[in-house]
Amino acid sequence: MLNPERLKIVLCKINAYKLLTGTIAVILVVLTAFPFFIMLSVSLQTMKEIYAPELVFIPEKAQFVNYLNAMKNGNWGRYMFNSIYVTTIVVIISLFINSMTGYVFARINFKGKNLLFILLLVGMMIPPQVTMVPLFIMMRRFPLAGGNNIWGMGGTGLINTYAGLIIPYIAGSFGVFLCRQFYMTFPKDLDNSALIDGCSRFKIYVRIYLPLSKPVLASLGILKFTGTWNEYTWPLIMTNSDSMKTVQIALTMFRDEAEVIWNQLMAATIISTAIIYILFLLLQKYFVAGILAGSLKE
Amino acid sequence: MSKRRISRDDISAYIMIAPFFIFFILFVIVPIGYNFINSFTNYNLGKTRDFVGLKNYINLFTDKNFLQSIYNTLVYAAFSVAPLMIFGLISAVALNGRSKILHITRALFIFPYITSMVAVCMIWLYLYEPSTGIFNKILISLKLKPQNWLFDEKLALPCLIIMNIWKNIGYVMIIYLAGLQSIPQDLYEAGRVDGASDFKMFFKITIPMLSPISFFIFVTTMIEGFKTFEQVRIMTGGGPVNSTTTIVHQIYIRAFSEYKMGYASAMSIILLIIIFVITMINMKIGREKE
Repeated sequence: MLNPERLKIVLCKINAYKLLTGTIAVILVVLTAFPFFIMLSVSLQTMKEIYAPELVFIPEKAQFVNYLNAMKNGNWGRYMFNSIYVTTIVVIISLFINSMTGYVFARINFKGKNLLFILLLVGMMIPPQVTMVPLFIMMRRFPLAGGNNIWGMGGTGLINTYAGLIIPYIAGSFGVFLCRQFYMTFPKDLDNSALIDGCSRFKIYVRIYLPLSKPVLASLGILKFTGTWNEYTWPLIMTNSDSMKTVQIALTMFRDEAEVIWNQLMAATIISTAIIYILFLLLQKYFVAGILAGSLKE
Repeated sequence: MSKRRISRDDISAYIMIAPFFIFFILFVIVPIGYNFINSFTNYNLGKTRDFVGLKNYINLFTDKNFLQSIYNTLVYAAFSVAPLMIFGLISAVALNGRSKILHITRALFIFPYITSMVAVCMIWLYLYEPSTGIFNKILISLKLKPQNWLFDEKLALPCLIIMNIWKNIGYVMIIYLAGLQSIPQDLYEAGRVDGASDFKMFFKITIPMLSPISFFIFVTTMIEGFKTFEQVRIMTGGGPVNSTTTIVHQIYIRAFSEYKMGYASAMSIILLIIIFVITMINMKIGREKE
């Protein structure tokens, strides 16, 4: 709390400029918080309160049972597992192959490096929305998967499989670029002395670079985690069986019912985003660093 | 390129980049080429896959739905960008500082940005809901006429734009905050010595010093606008009467409900060209500034 002495100092500093920006900021804060407040409030209301003609902000009695009922509305254990499984694998694989490739681009002058790097940058520019159609066809006609023959005919390929959900996310090149930029700041002597000692390149990466990569891997990991967890379009295209649905797809199912059960829907929305919010509160610094780094790519 | 022989170092480099490049080439680069080829065929996931030349591209320019989607996408992008930049900048300026309360407030603005688009849509669907939704309840309690929001041909697109602004202010704010921190403080001190007011310094120092960042935000939010799909598919399905359909939504419908893969591929190529052109202009202007 402000004590009177500090209040005085604060009040002295206020002028028209600060008053104006401050007022707009306060209005923006209220507008930003309002939908979240409504989400929380509705998730604890009865349907009677939701259907009431007047505004209800604070439910008469908090209906925590809505959360329980929401999770019973469909196979939510399975959806949660699917999302966690896909996201975890994407994060682990992409952190490893992106940082290893980033190390090579930062430190080794191999033949064809420039050409491959340009390819990488071009790849970063290609939005997934442009490749979703050809990628879908390729997944569906993936040879020897899902009942397909060697020519990719006859079955459903990688549709409704975890591999189909995971693959596109580990193919993105942004992480390589990010790790390369990070490793470029390391002193070159680090490699040279290790090379003289007879260390292999892979060993240098694993023993020296990887242990020093915590900040870049934390930011990249968070970007990959939120991106994969929040993804809607690709699972929408790739899955049609209930057992393969991710959390995001499952959320939209509440709307397919004849009458939307808003309190359960809001409860499920909170549950499905909770993991991101917890992560954010724990690792805020890396989130912001990740968002800033992510903005580098364009 | 020097014509040296492949060394041991080269080989370890190739081995180490191989896992990534296998995925990258197969699932990012190859699909682009494959898409390009498909765009000249009438492939429909069935047996027909005949070469039709430029027919898909010619049809695109007489396809009323596609032209409408380009118009909608442009409106969506253009009307998202300006408010995002203005409100993002104001919140960055107002919340720039070290105190705990500013820190917490900044975090609040990031929440909509890290929330999934699906979750955001679910919240706003309730706000916009005509019979039980919050906005109409507020309008009624103020004795105003309730609206049909997403079911109204004229209001649906603005509704999506407002939601988009709400979701992304935090992102713009973070970028602007980083920019504000890179402005040398002595500029402001010099201004203060000269007796400039805070307003004057905002317009004469802050805005000009942030212009590269503003340009960057302009470009990225434009590109994001062109990729708009999820909220359209979830909230309006492109309607009412195609008033909210976007380019990516058209690609989705043609490909995944009509199975016109060739035609959808041609649309994807057009989208790729648009984004490519924006990026090129961005890079060119960026280079001239340096």
